[in-house]
Parts: sequence; C-alpha cells; structure tokens
Amino acid sequence: MVVSLMLVFGFNMARKTKNNSVPGPQAKGDAAPDFTLQSLDGKNTRLSDFRGQAVLLNFWATWCAPCKIEMPWFVELQKQYGSQGLQIVGVAMDDASPKDIADFAKEMGVNYPVLLGKESVGDAYGGVQFLPENFYIDRNGKLVARAFGLKSRSEIEDDIKAIIASKAVPK
Amino acid sequence: MGSALVKTILGVSLLSVLLAAQEPPGKKSPSITMTPLPLTPVTRGKANTVELQFHVSSGFHVNSNKPSAEYLIPTALKLEPPTDIMIGGITYPEGQEMSFAFAPNEKLSVYSGEFDVAVMVRPLASVLPSDYEIHGQLRYQACDNAACYPPKQLPVRFQVKVVKAPPAPHKNPAQSPHIHN
Repeated sequence: MVVSLMLVFGFNMARKTKNNSVPGPQAKGDAAPDFTLQSLDGKNTRLSDFRGQAVLLNFWATWCAPCKIEMPWFVELQKQYGSQGLQIVGVAMDDASPKDIADFAKEMGVNYPVLLGKESVGDAYGGVQFLPENFYIDRNGKLVARAFGLKSRSEIEDDIKAIIASKAVPK
Repeated sequence: MGSALVKTILGVSLLSVLLAAQEPPGKKSPSITMTPLPLTPVTRGKANTVELQFHVSSGFHVNSNKPSAEYLIPTALKLEPPTDIMIGGITYPEGQEMSFAFAPNEKLSVYSGEFDVAVMVRPLASVLPSDYEIHGQLRYQACDNAACYPPKQLPVRFQVKVVKAPPAPHKNPAQSPHIHN
C-alpha cells in the first residue's frame, strides 16, 4: 500500500509541468512551432520563411551575460556555415526598446536576422524561462536538438553540423 | 528472504520517487529573500542607518548595483516611505568579480549569498513618535553559471519606531570666580 502511494506520488510529481507552461518542442523530430515576428528593420518575418535552411533559433536578451558570450561565436559560425545553408535567427526577449536592441546587435556585429520576441512565441517554445535557449531546426522545420543555457562553442558547432547535414524533403 | 525483498521494493520505490521529482539539473528558479528586520528605532530630526539583509538563493548570483556592462540590469532598491520620513540615501555593497568558465576574461560584478544594503532614514523633527512601515521593491536579475533569468521584484517591508531625540545636555551658566555673600 505504502509502495503504491509512493509510486503514484512520484509519477505525479514528474508529470507536473513548471508554472503550467506548454512544454514546447521536446523531442527530435517535433515540428518547430511557426511564428511571425517583426525584425529590427520592421519586416514581418516567419520562421517558415527559412524552410530549406538549417536554422539555429536563438532566444536571448540584452541583459543576459551568457547570451553576450555566445553571440560572437554565432557571428563567426554564420560566416563559416552560411554558404552550407545555416541561418541563425535571433529572437530578443527584452523590455529594451527596438532601438536599444538594434544598437546592441550592431555593437556585437550581428550578421543574422534579429526579431523582436513576444511572450506568445516564448510560450510556444516551452516558456523560455531563462536565457539563452537555442533550438536547432533542420531544413524541414523539425527539431534536431535544443540547448538551455550557455554551452561551449564546440557543442554549438556540433549541433550546427547536425542540422546542416539534414536534407530538405521536397514538398 | 521475504523481508529482504520488501526492503528492495521500498528502496527502489523511494529512488523512483526521488528521481521522478527532480528538477532538470541547474534549472530551479532563483530568488532573493530579505531577513525580517525587527522594529528599529530611528530618531526624528536625525539621519539613522537601517541595514537590510538580503540572501540570494544558492547556485545563483545577481548583478551588483554597479554591473560591469551598460545593458546589465543592476540590483536596485526603491522605497516609498510615509510622509515626512525621508530616505536620505541607499548604500550598496561592492560586487564580487566573477567570470563564466567559457569566457574567463569577461568579468561580472555580482552579489551572491548574503549582502547588506544600508538605508538612511531621516524622519522630520515634527514626526509623531510611533511605529511606521516603510515599503518598496528590490529589483534584481539573477543568473546561474550558464543561464540568466528574467528580472524580478522582491517586495520589501520593514518597520521603524520613530523616537524623540534625547534632550540636549544642560550647560551650566558661567560661574563667577568671586564668592558672593
């Protein structure tokens, strides 16, 4: 009886999601939720606009120190792997003004699109409760890997190679 | 044999409960708490220092009041005292320098563990002696060694007891050196 109660309690604890947030794409092969966000130059940009490319979707903010550490790596990796179909897309989850975000991105030498994030998009990706959060999406819009928090440059590069290796399935 | 089997089942069950209930490593939420301050006497008409003690949850740090870079969100206390009780100034401690393992040359100025913030409380001389509550917010933004969490506000409340200044010591009038009969 005690054993049964303990097992039930434990499984219920494991099933509880934090803050009732939607889990977001979890497993390899899950579809990355599509969204439309405004870019820094005012254009409406959809994630599906990048279908056929290997996308590193990076949630960040100007107040996030580890985000600032990985950004120069992203700039280098975009230059290195852009010709092989890599597209890094930054989503700024910030209270800062678009001008401040643009100034920050310019200061960091960002060479990829930066979109102005919204809570609804964060929710679709599991709540984005801390930053950075990176989602590696293959050419068909499917999740290959996700990374929570700052990882090493080599880990990031390995995940990029994995999404670049994906082949686009003709529609 | 029977009791050994029961013990094994209980052990496995306990382990599965603990494993099932675990948060992903490093992903519990950060928080700051304030040590409750006992009712603190403050003299009206004078500047009084009240020390507030804050505690950052284990495994996390917050930017100091003077972070190392412009875009980082400083820890800052904002108070709304009652009328005629002035907040003269808020003094923050120096931050500790720390860096991330992947970027050892990037230094951050942070608070971790416990830190004290000194608040200058100056009730006007006309304030009625009584207990008064001062409240406000501590704004902070926390990180662990790999990720940062959105900025938060901690409600801050403490009570002060406004007391009268002690009477000034009487000065004896100047004494004549001559003996008067």
